[in-house]
Amino acid sequence: MKKLLALILALVMVLSLAACGGDKKPAEDPKPSEGTEAPAAPTKMTLILRAGTYADVIKKCLPDFEKEHNVTCEVQELSEGDLYSGIALDAINAKGTYDLCMVDGSWMAEFTENGVLANLTELGYALDDDVIPATTSICYVGDDLYLAPYYGNVTVLMYNKANVEAAGYEADGIKSLDDLLTICKKAQADGKKGFIYRGDNQNNLVVDFLPILLSFGGWVIDENNKPTVNTDEFKAAMNYYLELIATGEAQVKDDLIASVDTGAGTMGIGWPGWYTPTADSTADYIALSGAATAGAEAYNSNVYGIWTIGVPANSQNKELGAELLAYLMDADVQKATVPDGGVPCRYSSLQDPEVLATYPQYEVVCKALESGMYRPVIAEWTQFYTTLGTEMDNIVNGVKTVDQGLADAQTQLEKLMG
Amino acid sequence: MKRHNVEKLHTTSDNARRFGLRMISPTMLVLLVLTAYPLLFTLFYSFTDYNLLRNLRTPASFIALQNYTDLLEDPYFRQAVLNTVKFTILAVVFEMLIGFFMALVVNSLTRGQKTMRTLLLLPYLLPTVTVALSWRMMLSPNYGIVNQVLEALNLPVYNWFSDIHTAFGMLLLIDIWQSAPFVFLLLYAALQSVPQSQYEAARIDGANAVKTLFYVTIPNIKGSLALCALLRTIDSFRLFDKVNLLTGGGPANSTATITQYLYNYGISSLDFGFGSAGAIVMTLLVLILSSFYIKRAMG
Repeated sequence: MKKLLALILALVMVLSLAACGGDKKPAEDPKPSEGTEAPAAPTKMTLILRAGTYADVIKKCLPDFEKEHNVTCEVQELSEGDLYSGIALDAINAKGTYDLCMVDGSWMAEFTENGVLANLTELGYALDDDVIPATTSICYVGDDLYLAPYYGNVTVLMYNKANVEAAGYEADGIKSLDDLLTICKKAQADGKKGFIYRGDNQNNLVVDFLPILLSFGGWVIDENNKPTVNTDEFKAAMNYYLELIATGEAQVKDDLIASVDTGAGTMGIGWPGWYTPTADSTADYIALSGAATAGAEAYNSNVYGIWTIGVPANSQNKELGAELLAYLMDADVQKATVPDGGVPCRYSSLQDPEVLATYPQYEVVCKALESGMYRPVIAEWTQFYTTLGTEMDNIVNGVKTVDQGLADAQTQLEKLMG
Repeated sequence: MKRHNVEKLHTTSDNARRFGLRMISPTMLVLLVLTAYPLLFTLFYSFTDYNLLRNLRTPASFIALQNYTDLLEDPYFRQAVLNTVKFTILAVVFEMLIGFFMALVVNSLTRGQKTMRTLLLLPYLLPTVTVALSWRMMLSPNYGIVNQVLEALNLPVYNWFSDIHTAFGMLLLIDIWQSAPFVFLLLYAALQSVPQSQYEAARIDGANAVKTLFYVTIPNIKGSLALCALLRTIDSFRLFDKVNLLTGGGPANSTATITQYLYNYGISSLDFGFGSAGAIVMTLLVLILSSFYIKRAMG
C-alpha cells in the first residue's frame, strides 16, 4: 500500500514538473497589422513611500499618471525606520531601484551631503508660490531644489472635547501651556488620564517634547549646530513636562489616539494624519499657542513632520521620476487628495472654501504649517535624538534628575557633534 | 606482489578521500560564502569607521580598536549586556523547568497525548510579530483584557510596557510563554525513547516518583536537556524582535538587550563599523556562555 502511494506521489510530481516546464520556445508576439505600430511596453517605476495615509493618497493619484505616461508604478510602503534604511541601502548601488522616494525632513542634510538625492532644479522642476513658504525651508541646498513638501504633517494638540469642557475650557480658551496643565490636572482629579505621551522609543519621546521646548524658547542646537540641551529653557521645559506627564502616562500611538478619542485620556501631541475630526467626533485638535504662561511670549512651537518627495540620484528613470513628482505636486492633483486624508502644503487646498466647509480643521493645519519648525537639519540627527531620547527617558522614569540627565546628554551630544 | 597490493590499497584510499572531499565541497562552499565570509567581513568592518551613507563621499578608514573601546566605555552597552545576561539566565531556567514539566505531564497521559501536544505547541508555531502584537493588545492600558480583568477584580492595573517595574518581567513572561513549548517538544521526544524496562526495574526496587525522575528519567535525557539549554541560551541571547516591537529597549533602558542597543546605536544610524564591533563582542559572549553546554553535549 505504502509503495503504491509513493509511486502515485512520484508520478504526480513528475507530471507536475513536466507541466511546469512547458515549451521552451518563446511565445510569438502577435504581428502588428499593417500601418499600426505595436504599443511600447510600459516603463516600470518603483516608489518607496511611508506607509499609511501618506502612501495611500499617492497610490490613488497614480492610475492617471500611469495611463498618460505609459508606465506602471510599483509602490513599496514602509515604516519610518525601514523607509530610511531602504533609501540608504539602495543609494550605494550604481543603478538604483527607486524612481521616487518619500523623505522625512530630518534626513535631508544626511541625504544631500552624501549625494543620495537628485537635483530637481537640474531636472527642470521648481516649486510655485502656492506652496506654503515655511515648509520649503529645508528643501534647498543653496538655490538648488532637492525635495518638495508633499504631506503637511505638523504637530498639533489632540484633545478630548468632553474632558476639556469638564475642566471649564473651550478649545479657543487654551492659550498657554499652563492651561494644558490645569485641564490635565482636572481630568486626573476626575479619575481620568491627563496628558498622554509616546514613550515607546527615543524619537517619539523627543518629538513629543519639542513643541513644549519651543514654547519655553528653547531648542536642541544653536545656529552653529552646537547642542543646547543643558540650558535654563530646556530645564524649565523639562520640569514642566514632568509635571504634565505625571497627569497621564506613556502609550503607543494607537493607544494614545484611542485614549483621547474615548475620553480615557485628555490630550496628547498628535499629527493631522492620525485622526480626522468631524463635527460630531469626540476629539479634535488645535495648534499650540507657543506661550508657556498666560501673557508670555508666543514662540513658533509647531514641529514639522512633513513628508517630502524627491528623486533618488541613482534612479534609472530620473526624468520620469521628476515628471511624476511634478504631477503629484500639482495643485489640482493635491486638492483631490483631501477627501482621502491628504494634507497638501498648499494655500489653494488648505484655504479653499469648499475644503474648509467639509474639513474645518484644515484652517488649524494651515496656521500651524505657516509657523512651523523643522527638526534640526543635521547629518547626525539619528544619533542625536537617540542620545537625547535615552537621557530624557532616564529623567522621565526617575533614573536621573533633570540636571544630571541633561548634563550627561549635553556631554554626549557635544562629543557627537565634534 | 605484496608491494603492488599496498600501492593499490593506497590508491583506493586516496580515491575515497578525494571522492569524500568532492562530496563535501558544495557544503563547504555554501558555509564559506554564507558563514565565514560575512564573519570575516564583520570582523574587518569592526576596525573601521564605516558608515553606509558617509562611505559614498569619504571611504571608511582604519581606526583600530576605537569601536571596541567606545563600546566598552558606554554605560548603556554595559547595561544592555547585563540585561541580556539576566534575561537569558531567567528565560532559560524557567523555559527549561516549565517545558520539562509539560513534557513529563503529557508523557504520563494515557489518553489525549496528541491533542495536548498540538495545543501546547501552538504558541511556538506563531510568528514572533503576531505574538508581540497580540500581547500588546492584551496588555494595552486602554482596551487590554488583562487590565479589564484586574479592574473588575479591584486589583491594581499597570501600564505594563511603559512601567520600569513591569516591562522587563512582561518581556520575560512573553518569551517563556512562546518558547517553553519548544523545550517541551524536544524533551517529550527524548522521554519517548527512555526504555520502559528501567522504569519497571525502578518500580520493583521500590523507587518513588522523585527518585525515578532523578535516577532514571534525567540521566536518560541529559543529552537532550543540554541541547535544549544550549539552543535556548543562544536564542535568548539574541532576543531582538519582541524588545523592538514592544518596548524599544525602554523604559530607561530597563529592557535594552545587546541586539536592541546595536540596532539603536549602530544599525539605525547606519554606523556599520560600530555595529560590527558590537556583533563581534556579542558573538564572543554567546560562545563563552554556550561553551559549557557544548562541552557537556560533546561528552
